Amino acid sequence: MMGARARGSIGSYWRPLCIVLATVLIMVAVWFWLAFVMPRHETLDQRVRDVASQLRCPVCQGESVEDSSASIAQQMRSVIREQLQQGRSEQEVIQYFASRYGEQNIVWAPPWHGFSILAWLVPMTLLLGGAFLLLFVVRDWLRRSYFPSSQSESREPAEIPERSNEQHDDGAWEIYRAQVEKELAAEDVLFQPNVMEGS
Amino acid sequence: MYFSDLGVIALYLALGFALFTIVAAVLGVIYQRPMLVESTRRSVLTVTFFMLLAVAALLASFLTHDFGVAYVAEQSSRAMPWYFTAAAFYGGQDGSLLYWAFMLAVFSAIFVFSSRRAPKAMVPYILATLMGIETFFVLVLVSVSNPFARSVVSPADGVGLNPLLMDPGMLLHPPLLLMGFMSFSVPFAFAVAALITGQLNADWLRAIRRWSLASWTIQSAGLLLGAWWAYHVLGWGGYWSWDPVENAALLPWLTMTAFLHSTMVQERRGMLKVWNLFLVIASFALSIFGTFEVRSGVISSVHSFAYSNIGAYYFAFLVIVILFSSGLFAFRFPRLQAEQEFDSVLSREGVFLLNNLLLVGMTFATLWGTVFPLITAFFIKQTETVGPPFYDQVMAPLTVVLIVAMGVGPLLAWRRTSVASLWRNLCVPALMAAACALILPLFGVTNVIANIGFSVCAFTAMAMLYELWRGMRVRHSHGEFYVVALYQLFNRYRRRYGGYIVHLGLVLLVVGIIGSSYFQQQRDSVALNAGQDMTIAGYRLTFLGNINVQDVDKQTEIAQLQIWYDGQLVKYIYPGRVVYNNYPSQPTSLISINTFNAADLYVFLSDWNGSSQATISVFYNPLVPFVWDGGILMIIGGICCWWPERHRTAASQRKRVVAPGSSVSGEKSEKQKVHGGVTV
Repeated sequence: MMGARARGSIGSYWRPLCIVLATVLIMVAVWFWLAFVMPRHETLDQRVRDVASQLRCPVCQGESVEDSSASIAQQMRSVIREQLQQGRSEQEVIQYFASRYGEQNIVWAPPWHGFSILAWLVPMTLLLGGAFLLLFVVRDWLRRSYFPSSQSESREPAEIPERSNEQHDDGAWEIYRAQVEKELAAEDVLFQPNVMEGS
Repeated sequence: MYFSDLGVIALYLALGFALFTIVAAVLGVIYQRPMLVESTRRSVLTVTFFMLLAVAALLASFLTHDFGVAYVAEQSSRAMPWYFTAAAFYGGQDGSLLYWAFMLAVFSAIFVFSSRRAPKAMVPYILATLMGIETFFVLVLVSVSNPFARSVVSPADGVGLNPLLMDPGMLLHPPLLLMGFMSFSVPFAFAVAALITGQLNADWLRAIRRWSLASWTIQSAGLLLGAWWAYHVLGWGGYWSWDPVENAALLPWLTMTAFLHSTMVQERRGMLKVWNLFLVIASFALSIFGTFEVRSGVISSVHSFAYSNIGAYYFAFLVIVILFSSGLFAFRFPRLQAEQEFDSVLSREGVFLLNNLLLVGMTFATLWGTVFPLITAFFIKQTETVGPPFYDQVMAPLTVVLIVAMGVGPLLAWRRTSVASLWRNLCVPALMAAACALILPLFGVTNVIANIGFSVCAFTAMAMLYELWRGMRVRHSHGEFYVVALYQLFNRYRRRYGGYIVHLGLVLLVVGIIGSSYFQQQRDSVALNAGQDMTIAGYRLTFLGNINVQDVDKQTEIAQLQIWYDGQLVKYIYPGRVVYNNYPSQPTSLISINTFNAADLYVFLSDWNGSSQATISVFYNPLVPFVWDGGILMIIGGICCWWPERHRTAASQRKRVVAPGSSVSGEKSEKQKVHGGVTV
């Protein structure tokens, strides 16, 4: 009996963990395969669109060469197509337009050099900084609430019996049900089990 | 006497009463004169009345075609239908300011009527803050940007509305978005009042919950309508271009979203006091920044309908707002140190912290990209443009993490969750995501980023639906039918399940965005002669000819095309262009958008020549309808959370009195802790 229960609790812990890990592995494998192994079937159209979406339509307000219907944008799209057909790479085509129109006028994303690198670096640094700050603050909170939490624990109602369940899925289901009921009851007194039974 | 004179008088009177409210509220509290404090309620209502009068006066000037008023002559003409003439009210800067000030007065009046629910000591300060903001706007209205200013000679006819604005979208998008911008003032006023009175416990948060939900929902609706308008008017096949003005509207929405989540942490756990105040103040400051940016023209944008010299006024106001709130912060900082009790990272509040980090990161990245042209212009004397590729690359990874967090969050309990139960709850959504990742390549979705995006969306959607299903099962096991159980879940736990609807809507919206940005196709035709055709994504479009329609104020050129699919005639479509006589250089488009199976065929007449030649641009936009469906779902969810629950609170309070000992939940002791432990 004890043995079965122990095996059950181990099973109910490991089985979901394995399933989740397996799914993550499958997804990573698929993505890896798509990104590196699968041959690219990019049509010329897609490549033209890729390049055109990086370029800003010089006569429009806030439209890319890809989207704009202005005649100059249409001409530029056909130039891109020609150049790609001649075997130039996407970067070379963008460079070609940058040298003709000036980089800051035509390339839409700020380039990764010079002063404009700040456009990329500042948000990234701040986000990372924010993440680290949060990490430290949370560690601090955890350490501080480590001692008083022992008191609040005793005031808490008995924790839901997490591990002592049967082998069936019903066991897990019961636990979850208890949790949902607890949460729902917290929001609505009417829904507390003993109130319902009493009324 | 013209209507416009009435308007000017009303504005000055409103200004006077607004100033009186500020003085009376502050003095009344300091010298403890209840009569004086009471009088502020009446004076706020008086301000509302006079603003209503001013709005009515401008509306009357428009509808009676009083072109002696310069603003009316600029914005309307006799040929416009009455509804556009009325909507021209907010077509330019002066009128939109008046509209803003009017809505602020209306919201203040609503607050006066519902102020019994707000903490009593805060009410005078809230009214004073609201009227302070109102004073600024009315001051700008009567000095630099007066919509009632009369010109010396009155022209026989007006210029008319900018053709881009002559669209059904005009009737809804600007009023909603301006109202959204304005509505951030109410939570801000609460924050100021909470800081001044020092009542920084969860009470003020509970009092603004519905106000902030309302602003969020209004702003969401405004953004969605703006996207829809851009999609069906501008003719570039997209709905969001990261234009500075779009960003300006998105920024306060993002911080308000962050606030709606972090406020729950303070309500439940008493944590994050400073942070919540910061988010509320930041939302308001960003909404003022947005208006400043739109109106000053410092950053070039497609929304350049209304540039003017009032940018400096806004800038000054923005500086005042920031200085004032920082000063209050510094003043109250000693009281803001609450003891934080944080049990585990693996908890609902842990995910909310991540959510806040991501949303604030997004806000900052967007803000940074928006002002970066100014920064480069200042430091290296050349304007560096920051366009959609930048935002796409920065926002996409953050959004992916945000959506994962959205799926995991509801699976975690408050305080702490055991690792075992987390794995167990993750199984079903994770299986769904893996299935999605495996199946999609078989259907030709070979782009790795799109695959990641779709899988993550599948994960979160499944987590939401599974959670909903389990909630239903819990109620079902108490003897309710599933349908009743579902209804009861939404009826009783509106906030929780309304939130799930919003999340599902967002997932749907992101699916639409991924679909349209990775799988869009586009074709430009050469000049087609009648009878020639072009193909895109299996659809064949046959051009038949052009129809020219002459009107008094405009001429319309309509191309007639047939759509064929699979050898079958699907329908006739009529994309066209409209040229208004007053704006010959700005033809607007009548775009034909045809939805087939969750994909749009977007047909745009780019050029024409006589009656038998046309150049057509066609976009095939997969999944764009999901953007609208998801957006509508989000708004429905927002309304669901916002909807009053008078019944329930009354009933549950009665129950609480009858059976105080029956509480078994840990929540009650927690609530007491919030009340008792954190009150300052």
